[in-house]
Amino acid sequence: MRRLGTLAAAGATGLLLCSTALAQQPDENTLVVGLSADITTFEPANISSRDNSNIARHIFGTLYTISGDGDVQPDLAEDLQISDDGLAYVYTLREGLTCHDGEALTAEDAAYSFNRAADPANNFTGNTPGFVFSSIGFDSAEALDEQRVQINIERKNPIAFGLIAEVFIHCKDSYEAMSLDEASANPIGSGPYRLASWDRGSQVVLEKVDDPNSPANMERIVWRIIPEASTRTAELIAGNVDIITNVAPDQIDAINNSGGAEVQAVQGTRRMYVGFNLSDEFAQMPGGDAIQDPAVRRALQYAVDVPSICKQLLNFECERMTGIVNPPNAHPDIEPYPYDPETAERLLDEAGWPRGEDGVRFEIRLQAGQGRYLNDRNVVLAIAQYLEDVGLDVEVDIMEWASVYIPLIRQRAAGPLYFIGSGGALWSPLYDMTDLARVDSGTNYTHWDDPRWFDRWEDIANAETEEETRQIVNEMLEVFYEDGPWLHLYFQPDFYGVSDRVDFEARPDEKVYLFDTGLN
Amino acid sequence: MWTFIVRRLLQSVIVILGVTLISFIALQIGGDPTYLFVSERATDEEIAMVRRALGFDQPLHIQYLTYLGNVAQGDFGNSLSYRQPAMEIVLGALPATIELTIFAMLFAIVLAIPFGVFAALYRGTAVDGSIMTMAMFGQSVPNFWLGIMMILFFGLYLGWLPISGHVPFLMPLLRGDFVTAFTNLPQTIYYLILPGVAVAFYSLSRNARLVRSSMLEVLGQDYVRTARSKGISEYAVITHHALRNAWLPVVTMIGLEFGFLLGGVVVIETVFSYPGIGRLVFNAINQRDIPLVQASVIVLSVIFIVLNLVVDLVYARIDPRVKL
Repeated sequence: MRRLGTLAAAGATGLLLCSTALAQQPDENTLVVGLSADITTFEPANISSRDNSNIARHIFGTLYTISGDGDVQPDLAEDLQISDDGLAYVYTLREGLTCHDGEALTAEDAAYSFNRAADPANNFTGNTPGFVFSSIGFDSAEALDEQRVQINIERKNPIAFGLIAEVFIHCKDSYEAMSLDEASANPIGSGPYRLASWDRGSQVVLEKVDDPNSPANMERIVWRIIPEASTRTAELIAGNVDIITNVAPDQIDAINNSGGAEVQAVQGTRRMYVGFNLSDEFAQMPGGDAIQDPAVRRALQYAVDVPSICKQLLNFECERMTGIVNPPNAHPDIEPYPYDPETAERLLDEAGWPRGEDGVRFEIRLQAGQGRYLNDRNVVLAIAQYLEDVGLDVEVDIMEWASVYIPLIRQRAAGPLYFIGSGGALWSPLYDMTDLARVDSGTNYTHWDDPRWFDRWEDIANAETEEETRQIVNEMLEVFYEDGPWLHLYFQPDFYGVSDRVDFEARPDEKVYLFDTGLN
Repeated sequence: MWTFIVRRLLQSVIVILGVTLISFIALQIGGDPTYLFVSERATDEEIAMVRRALGFDQPLHIQYLTYLGNVAQGDFGNSLSYRQPAMEIVLGALPATIELTIFAMLFAIVLAIPFGVFAALYRGTAVDGSIMTMAMFGQSVPNFWLGIMMILFFGLYLGWLPISGHVPFLMPLLRGDFVTAFTNLPQTIYYLILPGVAVAFYSLSRNARLVRSSMLEVLGQDYVRTARSKGISEYAVITHHALRNAWLPVVTMIGLEFGFLLGGVVVIETVFSYPGIGRLVFNAINQRDIPLVQASVIVLSVIFIVLNLVVDLVYARIDPRVKL
């Protein structure tokens, strides 16, 4: 009798295991995405990470939106008029927009979204107040009538319209009724999906809003937080997840050989480079004096075999950068520096830095953080080795990313050489170039101050035609190529693991928008 | 005994103050955390504004004393990343970790005792050799590697067990939602098997070795020989005489096991995407989310202190030689 009971228990357990194993597979109405980073908030003005923003974009609409090709297209708004002085942007909203709380979405909601994010009393630090508003010099927003909202900025900015497209529009009545704590977990927008549940550290479930005109395809999107790369890969291969982000390069073959999924590799917009810190302080350091000379910086461009680094360490045939701007907007006539160590050595000799008796031209420190970029530690070590091959004695200083390296970078105190990436965009060359908008810009980690670059920003502001702007941009990019403060590397590739079950096309700008993603 | 308990509780306050101070200093060593909460294009004025808003513009001792003052009033601060009360977030993640830890502890103890006893009884035989080889392996292999291997074999290759995730039991139970809790229970256990075994394998191995050596020592004692000479069955000798005395050092170890396992879940929670306090505190440290780290440290310290106290009390209860 006891044995019979044991057998029954074992059978029940087996059945349970089988049923639960099957239950892990997503159904035909559900799309499951595996993300590497945790989600911290749904407060639209505090969202700052890409993964967080990707989920929130399904809940919140924006006035305009940027397509995967870099085109700026209408979203909640259908028209934009810019005043002659370039300081007022008037957007006309589409009719019939509705918030998830059932209220109509009007210009008042749009103006509220901007002013609430800018209100210093709220202490918001997300992408909208921290990046967009500081970049465009946001002043105020006002509803002109039910449909028209006017955004006022303090200074003329040729890329303001693209940056404004990143601001999430939310619904005034609901947000005024919530505390800041409540708002961070209860997003009320007008996007095609609403938040169904959020198990912190585990998963976010979005459900399609009942709207016959909705662009959304799937009924439900589940965003699972799976920090470990090999676990994400295993979940994809097992069929429990449809799309995973940040596939590790060494797991690409495993996915492609699985028979149920494949890796989509796209050249991203993040520009990876080694910066030359040209500050007076670093000029006193070993090697810091040498890199003050543009000829030395130019010589070092020839010393690093970037395509081999991409192929061997990133598992990707990448394109070497020619400058600060992403390829569609780059200078059309500039070719990437080739790998030519002999030229590098000759130029270093000519610049007055011959090899000494010990074979060393000069010592220099290369600093980097680890754990932030694709295979960053090995990339840095490879770059150091290439530089040593042409006679530099490189001291590699790799440190913890968040606690140590970021504060150093933000204080513009890393170097004399430092490795980093900078997010870019496809929709305007000026977006990429504004890393170096001013000599004292927070993102000018190099302290580069060449007037042939910095004085031209005024010319761009005064340019009357797009052709004229383009001409100035090209001239600036030529200066950057010849004498700039970056050792040009590559645009970081992004790897997405995609199940054969779904129809998904990865974008180059790290945005994962799944409105029109469906099943094959 | 009550004097002992009160004295220990007073000592605990000093311990908690110490760990909060150490963790506070450790998090500040890396420099100004403000830079993690501002855009890379933020101006100096904007950085200064955020620094003020986060309270990092004050001298360190003022920051710490302000924090202690707030804690004394039950305010553990808001998480810098989540923008919600830090203690609420920590307590939200704690039940998942307790589930994992209890499962791992049960696994480690329930299997360690028979393994250890059998190894001792069959000392020098193939049984002993096999068990001790497994124990050696369990103590040598890193748990994250074991976790990944188990994912690949049991989760991916055989497809028997879930690769990652968690189904809550304790959280709905604590909320009074008994139906959900007990409906979830089979799934909770199902999802706990891989991470639980990965966490527990080291402890299982160590406990099995401990039980074995303790049993071997006891089995050689005069009173065991006396018991056998009286004609008592071998089963009774082992269970009533040997195991009872071999139990003492094991109880100490088991009491501390919970704390040890609690510390061991950090990596495993990451590998198995398990939403517990280990992963939370790991992320909080990476993001320099000081209030969240401090709240986690306080909760974990309290758990350790209470466990130590309970072990001491239990030890005194089962060993009459110990006086509190």
